[in-house]
Amino acid sequence: MRGLAGRALLLALAAGSLAMGPGAPPPEYGRVVLGRSARKAGVPAVGFDHWRHRALFTCRLCHVDVGFAMAAGETGVTASTNRSGFHCGACHDGKRLHQEKPLFAACAEGGRIDDPAAACRRCHAGPGGAARRAEEFARITAGLPRDRLGHVDWERAEAERRVRPVDQLPGLSIPRRPLEMKKEVAIASGAAWMDGILFSHPKHSVWNGCEVCHPDIFPSTHSGQARYSMLQISSGEYCGVCHGRVAFPLGDCERCHKRPVR
Amino acid sequence: MPHPPRAVRRALAALLLALAAPAARPAPPPAAAAAPAWRTEFDEVCARTQDAMALSVEELRSLVARCDALLPALEKLAESERKVFTRRLQACRSLYQFVLDSRGQK
Repeated sequence: MRGLAGRALLLALAAGSLAMGPGAPPPEYGRVVLGRSARKAGVPAVGFDHWRHRALFTCRLCHVDVGFAMAAGETGVTASTNRSGFHCGACHDGKRLHQEKPLFAACAEGGRIDDPAAACRRCHAGPGGAARRAEEFARITAGLPRDRLGHVDWERAEAERRVRPVDQLPGLSIPRRPLEMKKEVAIASGAAWMDGILFSHPKHSVWNGCEVCHPDIFPSTHSGQARYSMLQISSGEYCGVCHGRVAFPLGDCERCHKRPVR
Repeated sequence: MPHPPRAVRRALAALLLALAAPAARPAPPPAAAAAPAWRTEFDEVCARTQDAMALSVEELRSLVARCDALLPALEKLAESERKVFTRRLQACRSLYQFVLDSRGQK
């Protein structure tokens, strides 16, 4: 009984503190709005959907090699950086092919936001567009496995070879061998009634490398030294930097808490 | 002196043409532009992040020092390049320092 009440409390905390996270429908989940430089330029904010890109690229490629920060406002992406072949322009350069078609050039010279034929509105969409996003989400993620909350199960999708995220971008990435990290880390649960966590380094390092998590998100590797709670995680710290925002939501407890209580 | 047979003359002419041809050919394209020194150093320094846990303390210290030495060159780059590469360099440096610190704690 105490266990059930505890779990219910945790779920309520997680859902309450992340109204736009776990509660968001899958097409809206992981949507990031980049408005800082757009506002300065007097154009609508950019809406970036992680699910559009996640089947194609690892997290590491964009957040390390391309240089997108994990925290809002720290990247410094502008039309100028895009035009120079960085940030969005690292891929969206009008030349790189996707499904045998060149990708549109981000912030191309001469593009006018009020021209419906220009590509500007593909990113600078502003608010709204949920119905169109839902349609595109259904089309792009058709056939991919789902978790019990209806989100795409990207881990299973890759294990079943339905998606093959690329980890290198020629000209920008440093060619190197894949990371071999086999260490599983057992983390005790803070609550006696909740199963412990078996953190898989191999699963995380395939997509993130080392730099995405260490040291900014996890400043210590020694077991027991870093102490963090579900409240911190649901507030967007530690695991909550990704889980609850982009990676699977916190409401799916058993995906992490799967180590039987001894 | 009799003229050599036509076939021999043709062969000689072909040989002379072949010998002269390299000079007439357009110059080969220049070798691919070499990467600037900062980029070569950046690639070398940040290529070791995958192996950071296996590096010795001396190697980690040397990589941190090379990151610090490279930063001023990156800060002189054009704005877009500077933003991306200083961020990436900071990530490499922080990781090496993090592994170094974790060794010290053991």
